[in-house]
Amino acid sequence: MKPTPRMAPLLRILLAVLTVAWLAAPAARAQLQIQITSGVTNPVPIAIVPFAEGATAGTDVAGVVQHDLVGSGRFTELPRNKMPATPTNAADVKFGDWKAAGSDYVVVGQVVPLPDGQLAVDFNLLNDLTGQSIARQRFVGGASALRNAAHRVSDVIYQAITGIRGAFATRIAYIAIAGAAADERFQLVVADADGYNQHLILESKFPLMSPAWSPDGQWLSYVSFENHLSAVYVQRVLTGQRTRVSMRAGINGAPAWSPDGKKLALTLSGDSGHPQIYVLDLSTQHLSRITDSPSINTEATWSPDGRYIYFTSDRAGEPQIYRCSSTPGSIPERITFTDEYNAGPHVSADGKLLAMVTRDDSGSYRIAVQNLTSGQFRMLTPGRLDQSPSFAPNGASIMYAARPGRGEAGILATISVDGLTGLSLKPTQGEVRDPAWGPFIQ
Amino acid sequence: MPESVRDRWLSIGMSVLLHGSLIVLLAVGWWHFRQQSTPAPSVPINATVVDARTLKGLGSAATPAIKPKAPPQTQPQESPPPPVEGPPPPTPDEIAMRQQAAQEEAQHEAEAQKALQARQQAKAAREAERKAADAAAAEQAAETKQADEALAAAQAKKQAKAKKLAEARKKAAAKLAAQKKLAEERKLADEKKLAEQQAAAQRAARVADLQQSLQEDERATAASGALASWQSEITSRIQNAWIKPPTAQAGIKCVLNVGLVSGGSVTGVSIGDCNGDDAVRQSIQTAVYNAAPLPPPPNGIPFPHQLIITFQPTD
Repeated sequence: MKPTPRMAPLLRILLAVLTVAWLAAPAARAQLQIQITSGVTNPVPIAIVPFAEGATAGTDVAGVVQHDLVGSGRFTELPRNKMPATPTNAADVKFGDWKAAGSDYVVVGQVVPLPDGQLAVDFNLLNDLTGQSIARQRFVGGASALRNAAHRVSDVIYQAITGIRGAFATRIAYIAIAGAAADERFQLVVADADGYNQHLILESKFPLMSPAWSPDGQWLSYVSFENHLSAVYVQRVLTGQRTRVSMRAGINGAPAWSPDGKKLALTLSGDSGHPQIYVLDLSTQHLSRITDSPSINTEATWSPDGRYIYFTSDRAGEPQIYRCSSTPGSIPERITFTDEYNAGPHVSADGKLLAMVTRDDSGSYRIAVQNLTSGQFRMLTPGRLDQSPSFAPNGASIMYAARPGRGEAGILATISVDGLTGLSLKPTQGEVRDPAWGPFIQ
Repeated sequence: MPESVRDRWLSIGMSVLLHGSLIVLLAVGWWHFRQQSTPAPSVPINATVVDARTLKGLGSAATPAIKPKAPPQTQPQESPPPPVEGPPPPTPDEIAMRQQAAQEEAQHEAEAQKALQARQQAKAAREAERKAADAAAAEQAAETKQADEALAAAQAKKQAKAKKLAEARKKAAAKLAAQKKLAEERKLADEKKLAEQQAAAQRAARVADLQQSLQEDERATAASGALASWQSEITSRIQNAWIKPPTAQAGIKCVLNVGLVSGGSVTGVSIGDCNGDDAVRQSIQTAVYNAAPLPPPPNGIPFPHQLIITFQPTD
């Protein structure tokens, strides 16, 4: 039926009533529906209450955890002097007080000596707002493993709140230069991800460089200039057993493990003088040439799926990053275009980000990341002479070598992939360079 | 218009008939005139043509003028001639001869006089006839003219009448047309006025409806605006309280059922459908608690007992 003119206002009234009724429906139904499409990326406020430690402990587990979490950039701690209490177990936590003090989460724990002489680290992560326990776990180890236990606690907390696996209980390898110039010694060092718990793997009076972790974390490859000739070695971390895998004419450098751990990508120059990328099968010693151009091709790194190799080449005049198949015969594809100098590629474990050294307009060498899907380029470090970026296994941070000032010794530092949180590792004596962040420890 | 055409043709017909009649009358009149003006057969007259002037001089010198043989009654008596003195009186022969000559002359004179008189009479008769004919013709002409004039007058009168009639008709038609036009104009004016009145009424009705609608809309808008503002405030507070974990990316959707008390405090949170990980679940619960107490709803609207929040990050 066609509405008559008199019906129009009636319809409008009806519509208005329906609209009001609809809008008021949540109240009428005592229910309101809303949609949230965004949030904030603020650090999560957390209180790490000092653990109850036995007489034999000696390590501030809570302090290590707090250092890990805050250093990641994703947490902000509640200072101990502002904590409403110091409970060490969940039963003693009075919910609500921590929210009032400014913390959403509370971590309580104890270090308990076990009858067998080992120590058990128990912790409980509580949500002060919901009053729920989010995570609780026990780690057992010797007194020397307390830091590692603390890192493991950090990993659990980190994953529970961020959803990302923590990488605090991982290791790094780097090259340190010790001694005076006349008695210079090059060291291959393995340490915890926070720079503590250092272990000397190899020391040589000849230069060492380019350490690389095998995917299982059991092996390191590196370049040694023993006898003034470059050679590539692989060495078992725990035993020190090492094998020279390449000492060909010319340059032998920049080893990189394939994701399956069976191959090494190498930079070899041969007699031509033009470094090229090769792939060496470790079991068969078969060598495959990947690049073939009258230019420098070096610093190979693998994509997580092992299908591609990213490398640095100056075939366009200035160093840029290219990608080619990990099998011979492909034509390299240029990846970086932002600055005139991009080198030292490293791909994140999820294959989404490419870290590199880039030279900005002022001539500073800085760490940057490029989204391999969108091409978005982001400068991360303030830089001056930053080098050798290496992703954490969880992709959340990047470790790199930095030289803060002219004439100063090089240090190691981390930067979150959003560029917001940077951290210098434990100060070391002498020069450090070429960090390589190891895989998750199984 | 057809009437005017008929009238015109009728007038033309009448005029043709009238003029035709006039022409016929003129022809007949002329024929009669010709018949009357034809000279009657002349009577033979034996006369000698004498100059009247000589006759006059002669008469005055010898004898009194010979009297025409006019009827005596119409001839005046002449007085006897006066005695003449002169030559010796004639002899009786002479006298007889003279008398006879005189008689013959007188007779001749009389005959001439009679002929002259006859001619004069004939002339006079002809003149009279001519005059009569002229008079008749004039009379005829006058009559004809009069008739023509009468006819013309009649025709003119008729034409005038016809014209008057036509004018009257035309005037009547014009008047009728004017009346009709006026009526139509009045009708149109009335219709227009009515339409305007109706339009004005409709406009007024629409304005009234619109005002009413606007008032209702304003009330509804005010109510909905207040509700929308309240919803927006709640949304903003929860968004600002939601520390989004890295795993809360596009494609994640979690529904949270939140129990509320009248003060806006959260009495309980339960997670409904959710494809997020533990960190996402933890974060959205924490966000709601951190946003509490929620702002009270607008006046007159009770605080909802339940809040259903859909967390659906877009990036």
